[in-house]
Amino acid sequence: METFFLTLYVLIWPVVVAGVLFVVCRAFISEVRQARREGRDIV
Amino acid sequence: MAENGVLTQLGGVLTIALLLVFFGGTFIMAMIIRKKKENADGYMTAGNKIGFGISAASMTATWIWASSMYASATSGYTYGISGPIHYGLWGALMILFIYPFGKRIRAVAPRAHTLAEVMYARHGRSSQLMLAGSNILGSLISLTSNFIAGGALITMLSPLSFGQGILIIAAGILLYTLWSGFRASVLTDFAQVLAMLGAVVIIIPIIFIAAGGPSLFVEGASNLSPEQKNFFSSDAFLNQGAPYIAAVLAYAIGNQTIAQRLFAVREDLIKKTFVTATIGYGATIIGIGMLGVIALYLGITPLDGDTNNLIPQLAATYLGPVLLCVFFIMIIGSLASTADSDLAALSSIMMADVYGQNVAGRKKANPRVMLLVGRITMIVAVAGALFFATGQMNILDMLVFVGALWGALVFPVIASFYWNKVTNAAFTVSVLTALAVFIPVRFAWFSMDGVTGIFFDILSVVGIGVVLGLMAFGFFGKKPAVVVGIVASVAVAPFAIGFLHDYAVLSGSLIAYAVSTIICYFMSFRSKQRFDFELIKERTGDFDTPDELGTPDPTSQASDLAPTPSR
Repeated sequence: METFFLTLYVLIWPVVVAGVLFVVCRAFISEVRQARREGRDIV
Repeated sequence: MAENGVLTQLGGVLTIALLLVFFGGTFIMAMIIRKKKENADGYMTAGNKIGFGISAASMTATWIWASSMYASATSGYTYGISGPIHYGLWGALMILFIYPFGKRIRAVAPRAHTLAEVMYARHGRSSQLMLAGSNILGSLISLTSNFIAGGALITMLSPLSFGQGILIIAAGILLYTLWSGFRASVLTDFAQVLAMLGAVVIIIPIIFIAAGGPSLFVEGASNLSPEQKNFFSSDAFLNQGAPYIAAVLAYAIGNQTIAQRLFAVREDLIKKTFVTATIGYGATIIGIGMLGVIALYLGITPLDGDTNNLIPQLAATYLGPVLLCVFFIMIIGSLASTADSDLAALSSIMMADVYGQNVAGRKKANPRVMLLVGRITMIVAVAGALFFATGQMNILDMLVFVGALWGALVFPVIASFYWNKVTNAAFTVSVLTALAVFIPVRFAWFSMDGVTGIFFDILSVVGIGVVLGLMAFGFFGKKPAVVVGIVASVAVAPFAIGFLHDYAVLSGSLIAYAVSTIICYFMSFRSKQRFDFELIKERTGDFDTPDELGTPDPTSQASDLAPTPSR
């Protein structure tokens, strides 16, 4: 049981990171599209 | 994959090719948004209206630096399974605890460029220069530290020398940041966060499996002490977690790279940005810290006895050539994203605080000259950091030291945004006194035996109340904060008084908080000053006028509030 939880403890972080990456990428893509529509630089 | 304990190397040509791809790519991104005539405000804060995707990526990328990856792994290796939590979780939560203050700062100074500039508007020159000076020191140390991390990585994984490594990295970062400043920094942060976080997702599971997978925890268990196996290790908390809780609150308040993003993001997106960055930073850094835990279970001895070598060492042992390239880009991405933010921060301080407010004066400041000042600052800062990088300082100690130094500034800065009675004298005297007390305690210049130790323990207990009270204040307001602060101090007093002075790092940080808070409070509460916070909006704002930008700026609040042109 301890081995299972330690394994989970090590591997849970990359999963959370993947989730954050997805959220940030989705927002970035939508901002790029909006900037293009409005004919301005993204920053 | 390494065989017989030999570390996989990238080779000189491949290393240079990877660096060319990385810095070439970031340079191209910077060229896409490059304007022939950059404006000074854009160079510092990108127009105060950056979207969520870029700002969250930029906050995450800036907060994650190579040193934090190395330090988290060191913490895991030293303190065992709870080590990465005591590095990464507290660091992450501090981003979260800062955002309520960030919202307040942005509300009183919507178009400022630096926190020091706001302090000038609130108090005057001495407060501004203290904050700006500490920001410059912090960013220069951060820049140096990132160059060292890059040089060390290149030395370990390729035949190139440390000197060649730091030169390539410094030149690459300067190349893409110099022309467009902060705008280039935030845009390239997105690509860098993509590389960093993407690499974390792939590399951690692969190293874990290559190192033995779950059976590692059975076979390597004998390599850990009972304290290292304990998830609730008091050793880890007192030596790593607690000083870091104290230091990082100060770090977030005192760090211009964070303030700059706070002023750049669209105001309604501050909370969303900070929450996302909290999760992104925490998961990345704790995840990387697991590599230190894996190294501990494996019984690995760090190369040259330096725990900063642990991550590259594990990567070079367990990753094949392709994934080693991915790992290399991850570390280069982490250090480049922070280093370019440091350059943007340093340049904005020199532009807004030194030239804009003190040399030319805000109304007479010429945006063209400001841009020149910013670019020259970047070149000088890179040269300075390259010079200091040859000293190769200890990364973790340095991090805690700078954070504690900023601890002296936290209460006076926060109080200045909420309490209209705080005076310039209270701010200045409290910070200088706290520093004067912090330094001898931190470096154990005198004996803490007997009454002296008890006295400083009592101050530290007050410091605990201040830290926790400030955290509560951001979210819940004054009354709950006072209750939390008092309850925390009273609750820890029986356990802390008599022994806390044995932990010089923690004690020094807490004393800095306590001394500056006590002095700032007692010098202010009888003050007759009633500062009007609306004045800050008038005293800070754009340096470029709409005419100079070529188009009117309907979103500019400052132009409405400050009828006199800024130059």
